[in-house]
Amino acid sequence: MAEQQEGTLSGYRVLDLVDKKGAYCTKMLADLGADVIKVEGPEGDPTRSVPPFAGDVPHQERSLYFLYRHANKRGVTLNLEVPDGKSIFKKLVASADVLVETYPPGYLASLGLGYEELKKINPALIMASITEFGQGGPYRDWKGSEIVSYALSNTMITSGFADGAPINLPGTPSYDAASLIAAISIVTALYMRGSSGKGQYIDTSVHETSRLGLYPWMVTMYSYNINPGSPPPGPEGRLGAAIYPVYPCKDGMIRVVALTPRQWDALVKVLGEPEVLRLPEWREFFYRIANANDLYALMLEFTTKYTMLELAERGRQEGVPIAPIYDVSGFVSNPHTKARGFFVDVEHPAVGKYKAPGPPYKWKGTYCGIKRPAPCLGQHNEEIYCEELGLSRDDLAILRNTGAI
Amino acid sequence: MPSTPLQGIRVISFGTGAVIPDFGKIMGELGADVIKMESRENMDFMRTIGADPDNIGGFNESNRSKRSFGVNLRKDKGRELVRRLIKMTDIIGENFRGGVMKSHGLDYENVRQVKPDIIYVSSQGFGSGGPFADYQAYGPMLSAASGLLSLWAHPTDPYPVGANVPLPDHMASKQAVFAAIAALDYRRRTGKGQFIDMSQVEVAAGLIGEACLDYTINKRVQKPAGNRSPYSAPNSCYRCKGNDQWCAISVSTDAEWQAFCRAIGNPPWTKEAKFGDVLGRVRNVEELDKLVEEWTLQHEPGDVMNTLQKAGVAAGVCLRPAETLTDPQLQWLNAFVEVDHPVAGKRIYPNVPFKMSEAKLPPSRPAPILGQHTVEICRELLKMSDSEINRLKDEGVLEVSKR
Repeated sequence: MAEQQEGTLSGYRVLDLVDKKGAYCTKMLADLGADVIKVEGPEGDPTRSVPPFAGDVPHQERSLYFLYRHANKRGVTLNLEVPDGKSIFKKLVASADVLVETYPPGYLASLGLGYEELKKINPALIMASITEFGQGGPYRDWKGSEIVSYALSNTMITSGFADGAPINLPGTPSYDAASLIAAISIVTALYMRGSSGKGQYIDTSVHETSRLGLYPWMVTMYSYNINPGSPPPGPEGRLGAAIYPVYPCKDGMIRVVALTPRQWDALVKVLGEPEVLRLPEWREFFYRIANANDLYALMLEFTTKYTMLELAERGRQEGVPIAPIYDVSGFVSNPHTKARGFFVDVEHPAVGKYKAPGPPYKWKGTYCGIKRPAPCLGQHNEEIYCEELGLSRDDLAILRNTGAI
Repeated sequence: MPSTPLQGIRVISFGTGAVIPDFGKIMGELGADVIKMESRENMDFMRTIGADPDNIGGFNESNRSKRSFGVNLRKDKGRELVRRLIKMTDIIGENFRGGVMKSHGLDYENVRQVKPDIIYVSSQGFGSGGPFADYQAYGPMLSAASGLLSLWAHPTDPYPVGANVPLPDHMASKQAVFAAIAALDYRRRTGKGQFIDMSQVEVAAGLIGEACLDYTINKRVQKPAGNRSPYSAPNSCYRCKGNDQWCAISVSTDAEWQAFCRAIGNPPWTKEAKFGDVLGRVRNVEELDKLVEEWTLQHEPGDVMNTLQKAGVAAGVCLRPAETLTDPQLQWLNAFVEVDHPVAGKRIYPNVPFKMSEAKLPPSRPAPILGQHTVEICRELLKMSDSEINRLKDEGVLEVSKR
């Protein structure tokens, strides 16, 4: 089968001036074939020092965070705060379709590189800003972090055991929510530009998007529950252990999601119809939530008779969703992940060959995958500045010396 | 220039639960005509978790800005009507259990016979193909199967429980919208349609790609880190004054540490050398966290947040829904919209979370009653006569709202 090389977004150029808030956004565009150019300061993007590192060797080319989030992108160095850097940046902007930036509000404008300036250079430019709190408002200049934005998303309060401290999510999920939503607005703007010819400016914030990516129903459920006659439960308690219970089994743990009476009946069948589980009150979802600890104690005897996959398969046959709880090795190595081909081969000049997670979808009509590893610092300076923007190699030497690139 | 971004685009949604319903909602918010296919016999399960299928918060949130077409897909005539609608459709989204669309003859290969340039987003929990392909899968199971849940715990927890949050559902829905609109732009340029097979478990794993690489490159299976960070301290969620009140705080740089110390009044322990640099704070984080919590316990979480943010330190209350409604920044952002639903009444929903300088977005419309738009769609799009509509209603092919 001939491999298709053209991606859905091939032909578009994206300038990536992002930190953790936008890394997944530009990755999504790159995975679909956009020419994403990561623009880093001459000293390198700060996330190049995020641990852990390949081989546990701290090095600017070995941060697993950077390797994952910036695969499929090219990279240049550029100092936006000096005149030479600014003029090169304007050339890049003239050649670009999209610019994504995550600087504090007003920073680029203070350099004379705000949207109003850039659209004079390129009226078709789509510029998207992702900030913690937005371009204005009382929290505009407040700071965020992974755990802070998760707390503010109003979902952290529901995380963990009922009587323990709320738990942070692994990774950078609030930032990824912002990235996903910014990516939607960017492709929407590209689609609009197809008929209008005009670019536009997009403003989005982690504060507003995190709840939408994590759990947009919270406020709505609250707004339904504060009215009389509305159904329980309220969304606010830490009920994960009760709503989506986890049970040990022979070779690990499973998670069961039985919401309806039919699913509960199926679960009882899966476990061999033990008498203690056949009491009619257990069929009630809210009864099970209210008595989750008692139920947990009862269930152990039966779930531990089976393996994870035995239970998942029996659940499939009887009609109750049961999933194995994998650690990362279990996810990487299980037959399903392998059959899907989710992990793909990547070769990086400093790290060597390794398997990396691919995009979460397969496209039939166009290429979607990992074509190149994350860029080394300044790897594409020559390719882009000389071959594409027409600077000479002597120019590059001078710009390097003056700290512009 | 179109008046809304997706004006003139029609989307058909075979959706249940969260992923494709939320996908359709977003397409509707951007101006597409989104038609939800449903029937009483095979309802979106989110309609079935309460007493009244038209009065469920989660359903009514994820199904705003759509029309409902009540049709029984188990009947030949029902499927035939759907095929006729597909000819007038740009995008299909479906997240029925693996194999269901095929059994209806509505899978991509069949659909593109009648609409060659269709954009078809198919999303199952585990994607198509592979041994788990036809597992019924809700979000919380996918966070479990992806490795994400295994890292979502305090190091001392007996096992991970995650949250009430059905992650990755609402991430997957956004990924699907992104894909569909990218495909729409590609179709505009090339005339070609697309089939996109999205796996929700892979969306979940994509959130912890670094941990995946730690395994594939370093052969290390990460353990849950709870609220700790490898490179900043204090970095946690601290108990505050009041009942179950919490505030998250992150201090990364030395400058932020000094600002933090000043903001909490420079208690003597902040002068200790072991807390003087990042390395020292990370190494002595257990002791540090206890000392920080002694301070937070004396203050309400909103005061902790305001005091620290004024000093330039990242801090955020573990907000509850009621508090988000009064959050001044969310108000400034216009983050919520009130929508009047014929059964549920006036309720609060999240607004479109971005501002696009050139886009005019349509007002949010309430989720439809099951079958609310069957007749108007039959008349307008299928050009059917009332007698034909009534006959198909009597035969149980079409379903209309009883409200």
